[in-house]
Order: sequence, then structure tokens, then C-alpha cells
Amino acid sequence: MTEANITVEDLVSGKPDQKVKLITFSGQLDESNVDEESKTIYALIDATPQGLSMIFNFKDLDYMNSKAIGYLTDWYTKLSEKKGKIVIAQAKDNILDILNVVGLTQLIPCVGTFEEAKIEIAK
Amino acid sequence: MNTEPTQTQPVRITLTMPTNAYFMSGVRDFTLSIARNFGNLSNQWAYRLQSVVDELCNNAIEFGSNRNDEISVTFIYTPEKSIDIIVEDHGTGKMRTTAAELQRIVREKRAPGHSITEIRGRGLATIASEWTDELRFEDRPGGGLRITARKYINNTTVTT
Repeated sequence: MTEANITVEDLVSGKPDQKVKLITFSGQLDESNVDEESKTIYALIDATPQGLSMIFNFKDLDYMNSKAIGYLTDWYTKLSEKKGKIVIAQAKDNILDILNVVGLTQLIPCVGTFEEAKIEIAK
Repeated sequence: MNTEPTQTQPVRITLTMPTNAYFMSGVRDFTLSIARNFGNLSNQWAYRLQSVVDELCNNAIEFGSNRNDEISVTFIYTPEKSIDIIVEDHGTGKMRTTAAELQRIVREKRAPGHSITEIRGRGLATIASEWTDELRFEDRPGGGLRITARKYINNTTVTT
């Protein structure tokens, strides 16, 4: 199975009604592992009734396939319904390219640094 | 003694693998290598073809051949002209479909107004279609599908 890893960290939010988590992805998300790996994010979303936002740090993510993008889209929808957001930070060029071709960059802000991501999530 | 292929003859390499996504990271690595070394493609286009191969193979694995069967992916590099990627399944998978039906589905998903928030359906309709110059669906005589994706080498300007 292709290797992928997801770590989760709580961040301090500037807003009292907002919880922010930093989700760091590494490795490759493909057909062999994405169903299993996605459960981590779904568990976080299900556990928080409202106001959960996530910064996805893609600095060490080398590949994602269309199913991973599908999950990303679903997380965006679910978090939006609960008044939360997603911001993607530090994605590699090939990752940005695939997010762009499927139109996801129109929905989810993609920024170059973690600092920019924190500013974006606080908006 | 092995010699470098001549610059005028097409090079054809076929990988046959069990119907299992476990093997796809190796196929992706191989695709990157082919795209960079044979096609002399930019990094951007090499990664794009990597995604195209992955999506075509995933489709064959999920729908085209069953778990006890195989799929194949063939690379044909025609020097200074094109790279063809041909993915074939045997039609033993969970969803038997025809080339015409798959073509129709792809056309439907590419139609304007189709939601970008749908969870599935991007592999062929968006990624493979956008990042290749020709995408052809054929029914194999013995059963299953053959999908041929062609990228012309002179149509690989780096885009931002």
C-alpha cells in the first residue's frame, strides 16, 4: 500500500466560536489508501457540531488522485454547512495543478505559507 | 549489448499487473520516468501524465477487471511526436460498460454547469480529458475496454 500520513494539531483561534485544526498530510493519497486515511478527517468533522475550520498543510504531500480530491470536496461541503472553512497551505506545484484543473481552487483558498493560511482562516 | 533506441522508431512498453491499486505507485513512478526521459517533458507535463495514467488505471481496476484478473497499461513514445497511454481491462469487473456508454458519461460530466462539488467522476472527465489531446474509448474484441490517451509532444507548453 502506498504510504500516507495525516497528523492533527489544534491551533489557537482568534474567534471564540471557531475551532481550528492543522491537518498535515505527507506521502501520497491514492486508490490504495485514501478511503482509510479519509476517516481521520471525517471523524473530526463528525465530532464537532459547528464552527470547525481546517488548515490543510500539503507541504509534504507528493500526490493525490481524483478520489482524494472528491473527499476534499466533501469535507469542504460538510465544513461549510457547519460554518467552517478549509484553507490549503504550501501545496507542491503538481498538487496545485491538479486542484486547479478540477476547479477546486475556485472553492478552497490555496496559499503559499502557513502564516498566510492562519490569516485566511481567520477572515 | 543494449543500445539506446533510435530516434525515429516508436518505443512501446507494456506493464501488466493484477487488478489491485496496491501496484499503482510503482506505475506512477514509471510514468514520470518515461515522460521525462523519453518525452523530455517538463516537470509539469510529466506529473500531469502521471495523473492521467493513474486515473485510467484506477478506472480499469475499479470497474473493468475483477480482483482475480489483470489490467495492462502500454506506453508508446513516438519520437518528437507523441506519447500514447493505452489502458486495457478484460470486462470482468463489477460494472460492465461499453465504450459508447463511457464516452457518453464523460461527455455528460464535461458539460457546462456540471457541479464541481460532486465527489466522484473527475478522473476521466476532467483530468484525463484536460491533460491529453486525444482520448479514445474502444470495446476490446475479447471483452472489456481499451482507453487510449494521446499527448502531442509539441503541445506541452508550461502553463500556470
